[in-house]
Amino acid sequence: MLRVKSPQDFGAGIIFIVVGAAGLIFGRELAVGTASRMGPGYFPILLSYLIIAIGLVVSARGLTLEGPPVERIHLRPIFFVLAAILAAGFLLNMVGLALTSVLVAIIAAYARSQVNLLETILLGIGMGIFSVVVFVYGLGQPLPAWWGN
Amino acid sequence: MEFDVIQNLATGFTAAFTLKNLGFALLGCFLGTLIGVLPGIGPIPAIAMLLPITFQLEPLSSLIMLAGLYYGAQYGGSTTSILVNIPGEASSIVTCIDGHQMAKQGRAGAALAVAAIGSFFAGCVGTVFIAAFGPPLSALAQQFNSPDYFSLMVLGLTTAVVLAHGSVIKAVAMVLIGLLLGLVGTDTNSGLTRYTFNVSAIWEGIDFLPLVIGMFGIVEIVRNLEATSLPRAAVSTRFRDVWPTRKDFHESWRAVLRGTGLGSILGILPGGGAVLASFAAYTVEKKVAKDPSRFGRGAIEGVAGPEAANNAAAQTSFIPLLTLGLPSNAIMALMMGAMIIQGIEPGAAVMTKRPDLFWGMVASMWIGNLMLLVLNLPLIGIWVKLLSVPYRLLYPAILMFCIIGVYGLNTNIAQLVIMVIFAGFGYLLYKFGCEPAPLVLGFILGPVMEENLRRSLVISRGDPMVFLERPISAVLLAMTVGVIALIILPQFRKTREEAFQE
Repeated sequence: MLRVKSPQDFGAGIIFIVVGAAGLIFGRELAVGTASRMGPGYFPILLSYLIIAIGLVVSARGLTLEGPPVERIHLRPIFFVLAAILAAGFLLNMVGLALTSVLVAIIAAYARSQVNLLETILLGIGMGIFSVVVFVYGLGQPLPAWWGN
Repeated sequence: MEFDVIQNLATGFTAAFTLKNLGFALLGCFLGTLIGVLPGIGPIPAIAMLLPITFQLEPLSSLIMLAGLYYGAQYGGSTTSILVNIPGEASSIVTCIDGHQMAKQGRAGAALAVAAIGSFFAGCVGTVFIAAFGPPLSALAQQFNSPDYFSLMVLGLTTAVVLAHGSVIKAVAMVLIGLLLGLVGTDTNSGLTRYTFNVSAIWEGIDFLPLVIGMFGIVEIVRNLEATSLPRAAVSTRFRDVWPTRKDFHESWRAVLRGTGLGSILGILPGGGAVLASFAAYTVEKKVAKDPSRFGRGAIEGVAGPEAANNAAAQTSFIPLLTLGLPSNAIMALMMGAMIIQGIEPGAAVMTKRPDLFWGMVASMWIGNLMLLVLNLPLIGIWVKLLSVPYRLLYPAILMFCIIGVYGLNTNIAQLVIMVIFAGFGYLLYKFGCEPAPLVLGFILGPVMEENLRRSLVISRGDPMVFLERPISAVLLAMTVGVIALIILPQFRKTREEAFQE
């Protein structure tokens, strides 16, 4: 029975294989051409094969050599941080930068387990004022400051 | 030759010494230090975050500001290493060892001053180094043809992988994935789109900013949030006696010289840069010291050497980028990205076509170092206060700046989605022990490398021997083989592990 001796290596190897395979699958319609007339698929397909080859070596190593375990994955921080980014993307044009800052602050705060809502809202307001003054008025970034425009 | 150096530097100082450019250098240094001091933001996400601000500037001003940011972030990192025992970034990890001990003994002022003065000296030498070595290297680069460029990139990426820390084979895979990601978008040769999935935002390739900010900035926030203890508590110090004593000077000037020399050389090597230089300098100082047991207990040489080395290396790592178009580490990849966005093709042509730009930037490096010296010693008190900002108030703000920076690119929500995808991917890779820096190097070089491969093989009608027949290319490939052989040698492996162990 095979046992994973180095979960980190094994996992990394699998990721590489998946990426390489994706490169081949999604690149299957690209013409490879010949060396002297390289098609658009030549270099990507070559790279994909190399990535898969390394993936095989690394995962094989994960099965044979002892190595470090994978650190525990905490779902909470990554979930709320990414959620805050996506929420900002959907909100920015609707409600403007000022309000979005407050909402980002609130969503991001939940990436930690203790949330002080009042403090968070004050922080959000501070971030909103700073962002609007610096980025919209100061640097002239093409972002709406408020809702309704 | 010497006359050239002076004349060239004069060109540079004329270009850089406008009120506007000095202002941007100052702003860059100030913001860089500010961010470098704040716990939990390294120089890579810091530069990436502030990159969009520089887009509206003219090329020279924007590069000057970015360079200022880089040095500032580094200097800020040293400050936190000494005062709080938190390296703001990788190149100041070793500064923690003795610097923080000095702070605990009430000698924070001396440690900070030696770090600043050592860095300034190293910065001056580094600037002269670029001025002296830039022109011959770029003259050499003018002889390069496609096969030579391709081999140069192979050498550069190989060295980068070998000299960076972490698993070599995983780093190779990361470079290759980066190259592949770099090819996403319209193929310049055939006009066909590759791997775009009909998403218009990536028709012209994946933008550099969401990728870098996702993989570095966002992942770093998540990592900090996962850590059980958030960064904390500065050593309380008096700052009245900032100036080091005569004895401190006496003990540290040789270390500064050694660090500067070592750093200047290691900085040029691909993959070297500031991190390797500071580790190597610390090891050297420990080896040459009469009483090595002082190290780890507040030896001033343990601060002076690495700080001089990382600053010298930070300067000289611009050499391969500006002369050969080869970024030697992730920060230089960011600089290259910024240059490309500004419409400058990094490489030998910069020096001949835009001498004001090249020399202006070199001059601004020196100016930036001077500014850091005069800015930071008096401002240390303020930086220390900043350290007491708790991370829970900091990360939502960092997150917001990342969002604004990426969204502001072209106000397309797709950019934020791309950032989320790369943040998730980067997080996964981090959990499986893969460093993101090699991926960024590959990403930035992907299209150039493919183009040079294609051209080489067109010239040779598909014969791969062209890479060995051209002398420059053959030499570069031989060097690549040498580098690979090094990593296989057990002796070198041991040194490499030791160097990163401290």
